[in-house]
Amino acid sequence: MGAPPGVYQGAADALAALMLMLEFGMLRQALVRDQVRLYAAQSALISVLAVVIAADRNLPDLYALAGLSAALKVVAVPLVLRRLLPGTRPWSGPSGALAGSGPGIGGTAAAEPAGVAGSYTLSPASAVLVSLVLAGFGFFTFGALHLDGPAAPALALAIAGAMVFVAFALMIVRGDVASQAIGFFSLENAISLAALVLAAEMPLILETAFLFDLLVAVVVFGMLMRAHHGRAESLSTADLTRLRG
Amino acid sequence: MSAAVPIPVIQLLQVLTVAVAAPGLTGVIARVEARLQGRRGPRVLQPYYDLAKLARKESLAPVGASLFFLAAPPIAVAAYLTIPLLIPVLTTYGLPLGYMGDILGGGFLLSLASFVVATAALETGSPYAQLGSSRAKTFSAITEPVVLFVVFTVALLTGTDLPYALAATVRSSAGEVVRPAHLLASAALFLVILHETGRIPVETHTGTNEFGMIEEARSFEHSGPYLALLKWGGELKQFILFTILADVFLAPWGLAASQHLGNVLLAIVALLAKATAIGVVVAVIDNSFAKLRLFKITEYASAAFALAVLGVFTLYLGGG
Repeated sequence: MGAPPGVYQGAADALAALMLMLEFGMLRQALVRDQVRLYAAQSALISVLAVVIAADRNLPDLYALAGLSAALKVVAVPLVLRRLLPGTRPWSGPSGALAGSGPGIGGTAAAEPAGVAGSYTLSPASAVLVSLVLAGFGFFTFGALHLDGPAAPALALAIAGAMVFVAFALMIVRGDVASQAIGFFSLENAISLAALVLAAEMPLILETAFLFDLLVAVVVFGMLMRAHHGRAESLSTADLTRLRG
Repeated sequence: MSAAVPIPVIQLLQVLTVAVAAPGLTGVIARVEARLQGRRGPRVLQPYYDLAKLARKESLAPVGASLFFLAAPPIAVAAYLTIPLLIPVLTTYGLPLGYMGDILGGGFLLSLASFVVATAALETGSPYAQLGSSRAKTFSAITEPVVLFVVFTVALLTGTDLPYALAATVRSSAGEVVRPAHLLASAALFLVILHETGRIPVETHTGTNEFGMIEEARSFEHSGPYLALLKWGGELKQFILFTILADVFLAPWGLAASQHLGNVLLAIVALLAKATAIGVVVAVIDNSFAKLRLFKITEYASAAFALAVLGVFTLYLGGG
């Protein structure tokens, strides 16, 4: 199907594809702490991608952005998320069924917050197939835009489009607030990817502003998670269907 | 001093390399696995001793089993030994018999071997053998779409479905190596191979407990030389799948580009090194992941399917 892209372009596309794979990983991962890890890995990849694009197009600004984004999204956001997640510290929350049994065997293992594991509304395999269809839709709609920039980022942009849809699917099929928050953050990763391939020359100050917006969102989501957990003693959204509290 | 090796000899060497090295690879993997588990492990040559021992034993067939029961192991081994003629094992250039069949031809032969073994297992009337063949057939139907999409990717990349063509394409430039379609298809194929060689996600490849038994269960009723052939067949299949992964997809380097004796010998050494490297990776993966429940296999297959489908997607926008 045509000539292969250059090495830089191919590497950029492969990194984008890897990010999409991690998005699928988050979709099917049952435990929230592993979802946070996958999110950190995805954020690390976007920093690497920024470095690749910086080297390819000779944009020194992007190196700074890559460092900043790595510090924030690979280190700070997962850290804040872990701190704010209720019940992830051993026996801190109200002792549900989970805190008493499985994860606490070693005594130091962090307990999984109640209501997260297995909060699928579809089985994982069906969820993957449905989001594969959505990813295909996103892929080909963004691809049909033919937004060929200077370095022909059509493919990476289409992958970003697919990622947006998979992130939405993640938020829809998982019935717990923690996964939905992570879906939202990875949505931001998808949009950063699109921004990076379409407008790599965006001023650094604008990119930085976006990153700090994300940090605000993380804190707000963390607060919401804690508030929900305080009321319902679970992170599951099943409790939100009641009309009266 | 490097004499030219006649083409038919190279062709024969491809088959011989696979036939002789396959049990050794199993031995190396078993050894590495034992080391990872803190055991000393069997000798690397143990699979050869096993085969020799079984070949000397008496063979029995269950009452009521037809001739097919005894014919299946030789047919399976014959099918496995035909595949090295079709794929690049030692050479970069296609050998005369290499164009007898394409990737689909190789796939047919693998399926034929698996089919005759499963049918022979059904003939025995033994519940475990039947359970093994029914599971093996069900699960291969689940992984089949993944293989199809990998073949589509190859076809879109090269315009043919010849394994030699893909290997040549991958060798042609670094851009071909990092292009997402190639990486995604290779990853999907690797997942299928992990499943097909009974490593992950549900099977224990050496186990004889009935929960994790799929491939092993099918040879329950065979004995003596026939069991030896089935065991050898399983080892051949593993070596062939590793060869396809290494010489067609991941690392088609080190193959002989000419008929010189030195090049051909180097290609044999390179192939053994590549297969061993893949074997070590597989053993590490096998030992670092928990087995899934049997019916979780669809989740695993869906992950591989997602990889393969995205590989085809990326090609459709060009530049994939």
